[in-house]
Amino acid sequence: MTAVLSILHESWLSLRAQGLFKLTMGLNLLVIVAFASIGFTDTGVSMFFGLSHADSEHVNANSPWAKLLYLGIFSAIIVNVWLAWIATGLALLSTSSIFPNFVSQGAVELTLSRPISRTKIFLSKYCGGLLFVVMQVSVFTTGAFLAAGWRVGAWDPAIFLAIPLITLFYSYLFCINVFVGIWTRSTLTALIVTLVFWFSAFSLRTAENLVTRFVYSTEIQMQRDDERIGELMHQIETAHGPAITTFETRLDEQQKSLEANRTAHEKLEAWQGPLQVARWLVPETSGTINLLKRSLEHDASATFEDLMSGELFRESPRRNRNADFEADAKVSDRENARPVWWVLGKSLGFEAVVLAAAIWLFRRKDF
Amino acid sequence: MTSDAAITIRDAHKTFKGGVQALRGVSMTVNRGQIFGLLGPNGAGKSTLVKILMTVIHPTLIDGDLLGKPVGHRATLRRVGYLPEHHRFPVYLTAEQLLHYYGGLEGMRRPERRARIGELLDLTGMSAWARKKVGGFSKGMQQRVGLAQALLHDPELILLDEPTDGVDPVGRREIRQLLLHLQSQGRTILVNSHILAELEPICQQVAILVKGKLAREGTVAELTADRQRWEVEIDGPEPTWIDTLKGVDCRTEGTHHCLSIGGDAAPMVQQMIDLARGEGRTVRRVERIGESLEDLFIRSLEESGEADAATPGAASAGKAGK
Ligand SMILES: Nc1ncnc2c1ncn2[C@@H]1O[C@H](COP(=O)(O)OP(=O)(O)OP(=O)(O)O)[C@@H](O)[C@H]1O
Ligand SMILES: [Mg+2]
Repeated sequence: MTAVLSILHESWLSLRAQGLFKLTMGLNLLVIVAFASIGFTDTGVSMFFGLSHADSEHVNANSPWAKLLYLGIFSAIIVNVWLAWIATGLALLSTSSIFPNFVSQGAVELTLSRPISRTKIFLSKYCGGLLFVVMQVSVFTTGAFLAAGWRVGAWDPAIFLAIPLITLFYSYLFCINVFVGIWTRSTLTALIVTLVFWFSAFSLRTAENLVTRFVYSTEIQMQRDDERIGELMHQIETAHGPAITTFETRLDEQQKSLEANRTAHEKLEAWQGPLQVARWLVPETSGTINLLKRSLEHDASATFEDLMSGELFRESPRRNRNADFEADAKVSDRENARPVWWVLGKSLGFEAVVLAAAIWLFRRKDF
Repeated sequence: MTSDAAITIRDAHKTFKGGVQALRGVSMTVNRGQIFGLLGPNGAGKSTLVKILMTVIHPTLIDGDLLGKPVGHRATLRRVGYLPEHHRFPVYLTAEQLLHYYGGLEGMRRPERRARIGELLDLTGMSAWARKKVGGFSKGMQQRVGLAQALLHDPELILLDEPTDGVDPVGRREIRQLLLHLQSQGRTILVNSHILAELEPICQQVAILVKGKLAREGTVAELTADRQRWEVEIDGPEPTWIDTLKGVDCRTEGTHHCLSIGGDAAPMVQQMIDLARGEGRTVRRVERIGESLEDLFIRSLEESGEADAATPGAASAGKAGK
């Protein structure tokens, strides 16, 4: 235990000595200040502590949507853009060197020659590496919690879920980073491979969602074609004279459209299967982060997207919405409906496999 | 093996990936309480052997004990101190933080560490630098901190891989004295070094590795005994009677000559002195000389039977078929 604590403490000292750690921390604070600078007045939204003001009849201090907007800005914009991409990139830059440095000639002997097993050394050092993200996100989340409480009275402890969720998300990338770092002992290789993996996982998810969206949208169109064909047949039966020819031309067109949609649907479905299988194999990076938004919105009657698209303020829902639009909504519903065990379970499974491989490598390697 | 052996190694083999045969069947014994010198040219496998003992490298084959436990037994390492060659410390730690870190890895609790760290920084002359970052230390200073971390947990057995590397002459002498002091406390020390003159006065036992094989092992006295000789230095031209004396070598050194003969030929020495004085020459020096460790080292290389013993690097599977 003493040995494990020593390794963690050493990791903390190494973080503290890093310029990039301080820089990231500084940027974190800046983002939080910017977030806290957004406020609501009786007539709308004020930004930069009142320097700028936007009038809004829907979102103001008296509207129930202020809270939704404020928390939405946090989970959909600040977490999804700042934490999930920029801060994570900075964290990768600064933690990629941890394991290559650790296993470099002359340094590794000093640790391996102790009465503590290599597996323990590895796991302690691994947790030490995650400390970077834990520290950053903790400070960040505390700031966001205070800001949300102050601005919209949302003293919502669910915000603190960001700490484990972002750390988990980061660990999916970090395990790859560590594996390559031990294998090649090269910081640059570890960094590049991790970035490639990160973007691949992201692209795979995006591609799968995109194909699924087209599958949905062709399905919706086929359904509408069917309905329309039914209507036209009925009209042909009841119509007289030259009107019949017009209806028949329309029917012909509609059947052609149905045929085209059916072909497209078949082609897309052929792609969907393999993509779904591939997606099963990689960790749910965005899915894990999305769990935060899901839990912040779980008892809200509307979502941040409804608010931003203006859907919320329409008198009655638009009839016959664009099929693509509906498919989009269906895809995002599907993402939001994914069970937590699926999102976390398969990601952690992936991480466990990579870590097991890294430990195996670390244990049997000659230094 | 007897319980007074700190290290016994029988038939150690190590072939690295790629076929480099760093060790090819090394057997040796280090007795408790000894200072043991492990010598050999670059790439002979000295560091590899020490790293195997410290579990940093996995042996291809070994049958050996460390302090009575099989090599590789992890808990035993708590009783062993190790200074690796070319070690690199985390540069952002101060000397004190560094020693806390390594002490912690040995399982020492904080109060215990604190007391020991003060003592060891004193012992290695680094007290004034306790709160400074090791990244700013000179090579010799880092070596001193390295020694401190090797001794921190009060080990019975100490393995030092080139401990005087980069240390100034005064420091080297201090380290030699430190080793003798540690030995007087009953500890066993194994030292890897290239600086033979440095090991000679302190080692009781040496082993010479050449290309992964043990070329010689024994006490310094034993190994150099059959190479002792007498030297008689005289003035004047090369004596004509030299050919009448069996086994005498003669070499010219400026205006005088140096006659040398085997260490057991004392009567012959008397004869040489008489002859020289009979010719009115001055006898400048009569001395009995032992073989230096350096001579022994070079001789071991020559006699090792390895074709390219003097070139650095280990044998490889292709080259020195085994
Ligand atoms: N981790 C490793 N992987 C592959 N080969 C290695 C490794 N460590 C050492 N070797 C090889 O093993 C041989 C013995 O190296 P070792 O470091 O034991 O020599 P040494 O006797 O300590 O030499 P020196 O006096 O130069 O320190 C060398 O040829 C070296 O290239
Ligand atoms: Mg060496």
